[in-house]
Amino acid sequence: MKVKTANRIGLVLPAIPGYSETFFNSKIKGLQENGFEVVLFSNSKLSIKHPSCTTFFAPNFDLKFTLFFQLFIVLSYCIKNFKSTSKLYKLNKNDGLSTKNSIKNILINSYFLPHKLNWLHFGFGTMALQSENVAEAINAKMAVSFRGFDLYIYPAKFPNCYNLLFSKNVKYHVLSDEMKNTLMDSGIYSDKIHKITPAINSDYFKPDVIGNTTNLVFKFVTVGRLHWKKGLEYTLEAFSILKQQNILFHYTIIGEGIEKEKLMFAVHQLNLESNVTFAGKIPHNDIKNILETSDYYIQYSSQEGFCNAVLEAQAMGLLCLVSDADGLSENVLHGITGWVVPKRRPSLLAQKIIETIGLNETEKIKIRKNAMERVNKEFNLSKQMQEFKSFYTD
Amino acid sequence: MKKYKIAIYSGEIPPPTFIDRLINGLATDNHSIVLVGNLTKKVTYQSNQIKIVGFSGRISKFWLLIKYSFLLFLFQRKNKKKIDKWIASNVKNSKLSKIRFYPVLYHKPDIFHLQWAKSIADWVWVKEFDIKLIVSLRGAHINYTPICEPKFAEIYRKYFPLVDAFHGVSNEIIKEALKYNAAIEKCKVVYSGLDLEKLTFDSKEKQVENIQLLSIGRNHWKKGYRYALDAMHILKQNNIKFTYTIVGVDLDEELHFQRKQLDLIDEVIFVPKLAFNDVILKLRNSDLLLLPSLEEGIANVVLEAMAIGTIVISTDCGGMKEVVTQKENGFLVPVRNPLDMANAIQEANRLSDTERSKMLSLARQQIEKNHTTEKMIHTMLTLYNQAYESENS
Repeated sequence: MKVKTANRIGLVLPAIPGYSETFFNSKIKGLQENGFEVVLFSNSKLSIKHPSCTTFFAPNFDLKFTLFFQLFIVLSYCIKNFKSTSKLYKLNKNDGLSTKNSIKNILINSYFLPHKLNWLHFGFGTMALQSENVAEAINAKMAVSFRGFDLYIYPAKFPNCYNLLFSKNVKYHVLSDEMKNTLMDSGIYSDKIHKITPAINSDYFKPDVIGNTTNLVFKFVTVGRLHWKKGLEYTLEAFSILKQQNILFHYTIIGEGIEKEKLMFAVHQLNLESNVTFAGKIPHNDIKNILETSDYYIQYSSQEGFCNAVLEAQAMGLLCLVSDADGLSENVLHGITGWVVPKRRPSLLAQKIIETIGLNETEKIKIRKNAMERVNKEFNLSKQMQEFKSFYTD
Repeated sequence: MKKYKIAIYSGEIPPPTFIDRLINGLATDNHSIVLVGNLTKKVTYQSNQIKIVGFSGRISKFWLLIKYSFLLFLFQRKNKKKIDKWIASNVKNSKLSKIRFYPVLYHKPDIFHLQWAKSIADWVWVKEFDIKLIVSLRGAHINYTPICEPKFAEIYRKYFPLVDAFHGVSNEIIKEALKYNAAIEKCKVVYSGLDLEKLTFDSKEKQVENIQLLSIGRNHWKKGYRYALDAMHILKQNNIKFTYTIVGVDLDEELHFQRKQLDLIDEVIFVPKLAFNDVILKLRNSDLLLLPSLEEGIANVVLEAMAIGTIVISTDCGGMKEVVTQKENGFLVPVRNPLDMANAIQEANRLSDTERSKMLSLARQQIEKNHTTEKMIHTMLTLYNQAYESENS
C-alpha cells in the first residue's frame, strides 16, 4: 500500500552506503517499496552517488581552486530560498550563536535549504551537530538515529555536545532499550524515542545442518573491525587462560583495522600464535563459510550499539558469548539464547567459555535453537521495515 | 683512548633524552659528533664538537642535496661514484637517500651509530667505506616491530650479522636481538644514564588521605594505560581514595570512554605532554609512579622516579626487572594484570615510613650504581672502542 503522507525523507549520512552496507541499503529499498521517496545528503568528499536515490553533497570549502564556485552555489541557494535562510538565521540567533557563527552555520547547511522534505533524518547523532535547526528552517520534521559510537564514545570525549540537539523537537531512533534509557537519562521523553533493532536477512544466514559440532578443537570466531571498542585484547587474554588449562581451541578474527599491531603483539605476548588466526577482511560468502564450521561466536566488546554480526552468528546456529556492553545483553538473552559476561573481565569470560564447553550436546542444541528462532522472529527485515514505516507515519 | 668522529642517526632531531645526554657527554670528552635525522624542532648544542645535519622541508632537503653533492664532487669524487652506484642498485627513492647518505659520507665518521634499527637496510653501505656500524637495540624496533611486521624480522636476520657492535638498552632486549642473528659477543648493555646532580633525592612523606598516582608517557597502546584504568576501577571498588594523573595523553577516545564507563571521571586526570622540568615536578609531588606498559626497553621515567624518591610500580616488561626488584626498591607486577597492579598500589600505600624510606633509598642506590651519565658514556666508549679495534687490529 502506498503511503500518501509523510513520503519524502531526507537521510543524512557521512558517506553514501556502499554495496556491502546492508543496513542502510535495505532500509532505503524497503522505504522505497513502501512508497517513500528517499533523498540522501552527505558531507562525503568523494561525491559518489547512490544508485537508487537522488544524492546531494555538502559544499566542500577545502578545495581552494573551487572555493569561488562553491561560494557562488551556496549563496545562490541562500538567495533562492530566502525564507528558509532567514528562518535558520533567526533560529541560530535564538540559540545564542553570534552573527558570524550563524552565517557560517547557514553556509555549512545551505545544501539542505532548497529541499521540500517531510522528514530530515540524521543517520547518526554526530551528523546532527551544527545542523540542529535545519529541519525546522525547511519546515520538515527532524529525526535522529543513535548508534553506539555517537551515543557512548563521542560524548565521553566531548561532554554536553548534544545539549542543543536535546533541546529541539526531535524523534529519536535507537537500537536498544539500553540506549533508550541513556537518552531518557539526558531528559528526553520516552515517547520521543523509538527502538528499532537491527535486522538481518535470515534467508541468507541459516545453517545447512543445525548443531553440526564435530570439531575436536573448539572453533571460536569474531567478526568485526579491529577496533578497541570490540574488546579483542580482553578476548585474547581470556583465551590465554584457556591455553594455560590445556584446552584445545582455535580462534579466528575476521576483520581489519588500526589495532592490528596491538593485537598481533598481544597474541605473541600471550603465547597464542598457534591458536589465533587474523583472517583479515573477507567476502560475505567466506564469512558465512567460516561461521558454518565454527562452534562459538564471541563478541566481548567494551562498547556495542547492538551488533549485527552477533545476530548473524545466532541465525547460523552458533553458540554466542557476548559482553554486557550496551545493547549486547538484549541481542543475546543470557542462558537462553547464549551467554552474557560482564565486560572488561577476561577471567570471567574464560570461566564462562570453559563452562559452556562442558555442557552436554542437548543443552547446546537447545540454546542454538532458541537463538535461531528468536533472531528469525524478532530481527527480520520485514519486521524492521514495518517499524520504520510506523516511525515516519505515526 | 682514541678521539672518534661519530655520526649518530636518531630518526628525529631533537633526539630522545638518552641520546641527547650521550651526545653532550661524548662531546665533552672531545669526540666529534655529527647528528643526522629529520629535524622536527630547532635545536642547539653549546659544544662546537656537535654538528647537526637535519632534514626538514623541501627547501632544506634540496639545499642539503646541492651542498653535499657539490662537496663530494669536489673532494671525494671516487666515493661519490661508489655511493651513487650503491644507491642505484639498492634503493628505490634515490633522491631521498642521497639527502640522507651524502652528509654522512662527506663527514666520513669512524663510527656510524644507528638508533633506528628499522632502517638498517638503508645504512649497511657505510661498511663499504670503512665506517664501523653500531646499532642500538631499543624498545619497539626490536620488541614488537619484527613480530607485527614480519618483513623486519627478515631484514634483521639478513643485516644484523654485518653490524660491528650492538648497544642494548637492557639485557632483555639483547636476548630478543639474538633471535635475529645478532652475535652475542658483539652486544653490550649500556644503561641509560641520568644527570644525578640535577635529579636530587628527596624522600618525602606519603599522602595519607588520597594517594597521588602518576603515569608519564606518550599515548600509545604499548604504554598499557587501559590496564591502569582497569586497576583504578578495582581501587575505587575497594574504596581507596586516589587521584591518578596520566601525563602525555590528552584527547584519546579509548581512554576518555573507559574513564567514563568505569565511573572514574573524578579520579582520573589526563594531561598533555609536559616539559622535562614540569614532569620532574609532577613526579616529586606524587606518591607513586605507575608504569603499566606492555613493552619497554627500560623506561627512563622509572629511573627518574627512583632517583628523586618516588615509589615505583612497574610491570615486568622488557628490561624493567633489571632496574626494579620486587619489594626491594619498588614493585614489579605482571603485564596485563590490573588486579595485581591494584594490589601493589594498595601494598605500597600500606608501607610504614621505615619500609618506605628503605625502599626509596635502595632505589636511589640502584640508580647511582648503574645509571649515571658518566657510566653511560664510559660504557658506550668501551663499546665503540671494541668495535673499532676488533677489525682494525
